[in-house]
Amino acid sequence: MSVMLKAENLHHRVSTSEGPLTLLNDISLQLPAGQSLAITGASGSGKSTLLGLLAGLDRPTEGKIWLAGEDITAMDEEQRAALRARCVGFVFQTFQLLPGLTARENVMLPSELRGERNAGKRAEEFLERVGLGHRLHHYPRQLSGGEQQRVAIARAFCSIAGNDKDTGNGILFADEPTGSLDAHNGEKVIDLLFNLNAETGTTLVLVTHEQRLAERCGAHLRMAAGEITTADIPDSYFGDQAEVSA
Amino acid sequence: MLPLRLLGRDWRGGELALIATALILAVSCVTAIAHFSDRLTRAMHIQSQSFLAAERVLKSSKEVPQEWLDKADDLGLERAKTVTFASMLSAGDEFQFASVKAVSDGYPLVGHLEMRAQVEAQSKVVQQGPRPGNVWLEARLLPLMQLEIGDQLQLGDGSFTIDGIIDHEPDRGANLFSMGARVMMHTSDLAATNILQPGSRVNYRYLLAGDDAALESYLTWLRPKLTLHEHITDLKEGQPRVAKTLERAESFLYLAASLAVLLASVAVGLAARRYGLRHANYVAVMKSLGAGKNKILGIYLGQMSALAIIATVAGLAIGSFVQSQAVNLLAGFFPVTPPPSSWQPLLVGIATGLACVIGFALPPLFRLAQTDPMQTLRQDWSNPDKREWFGLIPGPLSMLLLIWWLSGSLATTAALLAGLGLLVAGSAVVNRLLVRGRLAALGGSWRIALGSLQRRAGFNTLLIAAFGTGLLAMLAMFYARTALIDEWKMQLPENAPNHFLVNIAPYELDGVKQKVEDKNLEGTEFYPMVRGRLIAVNGTPVTERENTDGAIRRELNLSWTDTLPADNKIVAGEWWNENLTEGVSVEVEVAARLGLEMGDVLRFSIGGLETESTITSLRTLDWNSMRPNFFMLFAPGSLDNFPATYIQSFYLPPEDKLFVNELVKNFPSVSIIELDKILENIRETIGQVAIAIESVLALMLIAGVLVLIAGVRASIAERLQEAAVIRTLGGRRQLLIRSLMIEFGLLGIAAGLLAAFGTEATLAVLSQRVFELPFNFHPGLWILGPLVGALLVGTAGTLACRSAVSQPPLKVLRELA
Repeated sequence: MSVMLKAENLHHRVSTSEGPLTLLNDISLQLPAGQSLAITGASGSGKSTLLGLLAGLDRPTEGKIWLAGEDITAMDEEQRAALRARCVGFVFQTFQLLPGLTARENVMLPSELRGERNAGKRAEEFLERVGLGHRLHHYPRQLSGGEQQRVAIARAFCSIAGNDKDTGNGILFADEPTGSLDAHNGEKVIDLLFNLNAETGTTLVLVTHEQRLAERCGAHLRMAAGEITTADIPDSYFGDQAEVSA
Repeated sequence: MLPLRLLGRDWRGGELALIATALILAVSCVTAIAHFSDRLTRAMHIQSQSFLAAERVLKSSKEVPQEWLDKADDLGLERAKTVTFASMLSAGDEFQFASVKAVSDGYPLVGHLEMRAQVEAQSKVVQQGPRPGNVWLEARLLPLMQLEIGDQLQLGDGSFTIDGIIDHEPDRGANLFSMGARVMMHTSDLAATNILQPGSRVNYRYLLAGDDAALESYLTWLRPKLTLHEHITDLKEGQPRVAKTLERAESFLYLAASLAVLLASVAVGLAARRYGLRHANYVAVMKSLGAGKNKILGIYLGQMSALAIIATVAGLAIGSFVQSQAVNLLAGFFPVTPPPSSWQPLLVGIATGLACVIGFALPPLFRLAQTDPMQTLRQDWSNPDKREWFGLIPGPLSMLLLIWWLSGSLATTAALLAGLGLLVAGSAVVNRLLVRGRLAALGGSWRIALGSLQRRAGFNTLLIAAFGTGLLAMLAMFYARTALIDEWKMQLPENAPNHFLVNIAPYELDGVKQKVEDKNLEGTEFYPMVRGRLIAVNGTPVTERENTDGAIRRELNLSWTDTLPADNKIVAGEWWNENLTEGVSVEVEVAARLGLEMGDVLRFSIGGLETESTITSLRTLDWNSMRPNFFMLFAPGSLDNFPATYIQSFYLPPEDKLFVNELVKNFPSVSIIELDKILENIRETIGQVAIAIESVLALMLIAGVLVLIAGVRASIAERLQEAAVIRTLGGRRQLLIRSLMIEFGLLGIAAGLLAAFGTEATLAVLSQRVFELPFNFHPGLWILGPLVGALLVGTAGTLACRSAVSQPPLKVLRELA
């Protein structure tokens, strides 16, 4: 099993008016392709910071991260962005849909950023798959919270569905995907997320408060004060170390 | 093209519409003002050149060589000729001294003549003087000489038919002291009169007009050939008063265009900043989707370029349309139809668009590309990027460069820089005072308003500066316009003397005084006058002195009086009193030109006799007062031994014009200099310039209000959200409206106060360096600034936010989500 994501001895510190602040302290993990990982913890535990670093949105102060076999800590911002364009999808707690674009246009955006020609067709396919084929031309303000998050999921899968096969089937980072939804809608969104994940064979990293949601993932890290306190990780996740540094 | 596709989508979202509106506003405002100024300046120049009836005039006391005229023809210049001299007219037993002007075909080259074919007929505009064999007379000559249209008039050996009445000649002012009523004839009839003989006092004027380059080339060729008898005149020399008026008006129009640029750029800056802030999330999402910094920059630069091109083209079209409508609307006020505009205003519009985009719209885009996606998506602003302040530098810098280019005046640019510098520095201080004040103790709505001001302290500094700039532009324009128009009115009051009586013999003095008094005319004192030449200073002949001046090459009018004339002011020494009964008071400028000082002994030659006098005082005087003015004023009795005549000036209303005939009949030896027509022409021109200035001021006020609205809109979303939350928590409508009025009112007062400060500084530099007017402190400004600020900003802010209190809070929150 190839390793999709690996982090070694991550430290992250920021300077504040009150002096330097440690957000992450000596974090190491690895995740095989096609598997899922939940990161839980209280607010301020550092889980969202960790998610951002793993996705290459920022660089850690110390340590190394390999994403799809590439050392993203050695890359500049442009190279990391190019890698994200190839194999990373995001789902945010607050949906982060662009209010000026319709549902279809929001989903098209990642394909367009890659310069693909059939962006519209692919967006429509994914919106159909999330059950919003009839809402293609609606703006985010015309959609309910649950519907907006489904559009965001469609966008995330669309983002990684067009990737090149060298990077496997891509990786999806979800930051509190049900945090802004009621229980009923949250349930529907999670079902959708896991079903699509299974269908497309993507790797999933999920930050959540919800224990129930974390339990649906193959592995589970608990964090507090920037450190991993407990880790429920199947042995199979540590199978083939050699592929990571390839 | 992704940028264009995104541009289309963004447009629907309303984000880009705001920045496009500001850009269109900027370009159209500046284009309209630049077009308007350009056309008005050209119209004013045409009108002003009509004071010369030409673009340049070659004056001579004799005929110039034919070669000179041939050269003008070779260069394709238009030319005409006038010959002016004084002569006696006769018709039967009636004789009258008149100022004769012979004009060639083509006269006037610029401007027009107005004449009537019958006494009762309406005056009509004509472009050609009388035909050979005919003459036109000034209206008052007909009753004076008991003549009618169609009668014969004898001039020298020639007899001419009176063919019309001359009501207006454009260059009447060019020969200021032409005495007697006007008779106009054709130059081809001059020979038949046999009047002009060698030694006759004649004024030849060769009028020239044509292409600027050809004119300049001709004058370059001609200048080395000129002798003491010939002289080239342009407007500046021919009509300094009109030239100065135009110069100031042009400065004002350039100032208006500069301020319009400034206002427009503030509007673009505010809109671009809002756009940048709102798009930070877009960029963070795009970055998370794999768009790199360069890709983001490419997308936004592409979008902005497309937007700038569309907005600039739209702005140019709108600006051109608005100015054409404005000129059409005001057409009735201009005797000269403003000529079509040049391409330069379009260039100014394009430069404005470019400067606004480069200076104000691009820095937020470059910052956008630097967006930290994690920080933005998590709304974590605990570690703000301090480099943001560098983004504020290119905007003002590009504006100042543009204003410098536009006004061509370092002084105007420096004045605005000084005003704006004070305004921005003051904004931070005033804002700090505002949020630290104890106004919150005043109650509920005050507490909400002050809380809102405190939360946005940083942005409010920017907002106060923006509002302040808008108010500064409006106030500076208003006060500059008032100062200019007041100055013009003061220079040429409605009842300024328009007739001079000269050469009044002592035995006629009482009679003339009586006539003028009987008519109840507003007149000056009757001043005695002897003609004399300054021949030596402290015993040294003036011809041997280094300092020379026209004043020593001709005879001066010397006078005496015991009362210091109105408008005269002693600047050194003292005026005649019990202890000072001898000496001469000298006008300060001529003293400087001749190098004269207090205590110098001046020797004059008067009618072959010599007299000496010591300088006991130096005086300033107002040459524009239309009163008799003298370089040298002696102590009473000093010149009693010399034969004197008297001079006086008075204001004669147009309806009493025939009073001149009465004076001429009763006192034939008294010369009357009639300046009423000249003053009327000048007043007409100043009137047009004033209308132009008022129109531009109105445009500026509209632009200023639009900037205030842009400022309010830039901060409206947060305020709407807060208001909706307060309403959700049970806050009453009245409470919210009051707090909004207080918040925006306080911002307006702060901006108005600073604008008053900045305006005063701007006016101080402008009045002294650009308009050359004395600086006056403006106490009213310090009340008007805060008042107008509170009123405009308070009203605009409250109106803009009224949806937050009139709509259900849930709807507002949903729309803002």
